[in-house]
Amino acid sequence: MTAAISRTFSPLLLAVRQRHWGDAGMWTASFAAALLGAATLLFIVLFVMAEASPVLQHAGGLRGFLFGLPWEPFADPPAYGILHSWLSTLLVTGIALALAVPLALGVAVFAAEIAPALMRTVLQPFLELLAGIPSVVYGFFGYVTLVPWFEKHFDMVTGESVLVAALTLAVMVLPYVASTAAEAFRRVPGALRDSAYAMGVTRWHVISRVVMRHALPGIFAAIVLGLARAIGEALAVLMLAGNSTAVPESVLDRGQPITALLLTELGEAGVDSEKYHALFAAGVTLILITVLINLMVWWLKRGMLLRHA
Amino acid sequence: MKRIFFPAVPTLPATANLMDDAVTLLAWLLGLLALALPLGILAFLAWHGAAVLSWEFLSTGPAGLPLGTAGGIGPAIQGTLALVGIGLLLALPLGIGGGIYLSEYAPRAAWVSVLRFAVECLAGIPAVIYGLFGYSLLVVFLALKISLLAGGATLGFLMFPIILIGTQESLAAVEWHEREAALALGVSRARVIRRILLPKAWPGIAAVIVLAAGHAAGSAAPVMYTASTIFSATGITLASPVMTMPTHLYHLVAEAVSFNHAYGTAFVLVAGMLLGNSLALFLRRRN
Repeated sequence: MTAAISRTFSPLLLAVRQRHWGDAGMWTASFAAALLGAATLLFIVLFVMAEASPVLQHAGGLRGFLFGLPWEPFADPPAYGILHSWLSTLLVTGIALALAVPLALGVAVFAAEIAPALMRTVLQPFLELLAGIPSVVYGFFGYVTLVPWFEKHFDMVTGESVLVAALTLAVMVLPYVASTAAEAFRRVPGALRDSAYAMGVTRWHVISRVVMRHALPGIFAAIVLGLARAIGEALAVLMLAGNSTAVPESVLDRGQPITALLLTELGEAGVDSEKYHALFAAGVTLILITVLINLMVWWLKRGMLLRHA
Repeated sequence: MKRIFFPAVPTLPATANLMDDAVTLLAWLLGLLALALPLGILAFLAWHGAAVLSWEFLSTGPAGLPLGTAGGIGPAIQGTLALVGIGLLLALPLGIGGGIYLSEYAPRAAWVSVLRFAVECLAGIPAVIYGLFGYSLLVVFLALKISLLAGGATLGFLMFPIILIGTQESLAAVEWHEREAALALGVSRARVIRRILLPKAWPGIAAVIVLAAGHAAGSAAPVMYTASTIFSATGITLASPVMTMPTHLYHLVAEAVSFNHAYGTAFVLVAGMLLGNSLALFLRRRN
């Protein structure tokens, strides 16, 4: 412990001993910024958790909240369970990724292996621009294109559904997955590629058996990054999933992912009411999922670094 | 006498070349699709929004009954800019300072990697969680009400981890011999950072700031319950709520106010975002 402390402060001690006051100032300011920022962020998580903790004392407890109860704020007594919500989140993100990942890998293969040099330099910035389009715009875009189309062709009362939200989300996560995967492909050592080509096999053979296999951790990291994006997406799913508190039974049913639940109900939840705490608990569920995903990314990244070391 | 030749490389199975051609074709199609998508979306919005786009649309406030069927989005543009500006006031010193510490001063210790991992987690936390936190702490607990200040601070929290990670990575990308050469001449570390590392890393840092600001400007979730209002009569003051572009767009669509104006708003939002992101890409290219 003392060793850690002295290691942490050694640049400051050295600066003070040598009377480099500018140095001491820079160290103090940057250390304070790092500490303050990290403390704030830790505080955010603890604060949200503290606001969520009373949910444990609700009827049904944690089990009821996650699995048993429906979301019925107006029933007597009111019930606050988020089964319908996390199921919707799971359905929407699952379908979105199932659609987006194969397409994104195709785009990544094109961008890293097949496209001529000029296309490569254009494609990467385009993917990043695509990733910059705000979620509410995608929501609007889906609302005026996909929703009427589904109403017409599937004979639905409202086209808003889990499937429409998932389709839009697929377009949203595609650039993230594609550009991360393309980066992983580019990092495959050229010597591996060259020796594979020297065997006289086709390009597809090299891509599928050598490049993709070597970049596998990177591909996983790309997929997991897309997953994190999709799970946290709020506005598009709020506008397209239909905001129904019933548990969705098919992909054409309406649903309410966790993010949509939060945005719909927060404005109408009295501070410190049972509903307020239930909403924060839903938020904590979302945080825990993203931290888990981050752990996975970190683990995969480390695997990649070790491989290239 | 009959001679038998063995080719040096065995011939490929007939399906191999076919498969290769098919995959190449598919990849080209997907690549062109990825190129066409952003242009297509922008063109679609511009085509439908052209009817309302004008200088008045950019400068005047919403009007008509119900509100938003006429007039423009001037206050929403100002509100979004003000929110991001206040957020940056908070996020820039913390993010850049923290990035400098982690890259240049932090010892190789377990707690530093834990800190770094925590910051990465927080950069990945959904924007809606920041909205939740901003609402409960700033709006309710600190009684800031729904206001520019509360929303700006929320966006500051949102941008901080992104800027910190970007700063750290830009600084770490500067080669070691630059530091060693300067330190060997007896230059103090603060001076090395100020005069050598920051100028070298600056394009990368600026790019990440632009990206973070764009992300914050485009998200409706964190400001919906901390800063935004349907119509602000008071103008831009710290203590009063403001209109924002994304929440205005959401309102126009969700309440089915005016799709023409929604197209116009979406076009302005996307065009601004593309402009900002192009700037970021340009900065990074110079790096």
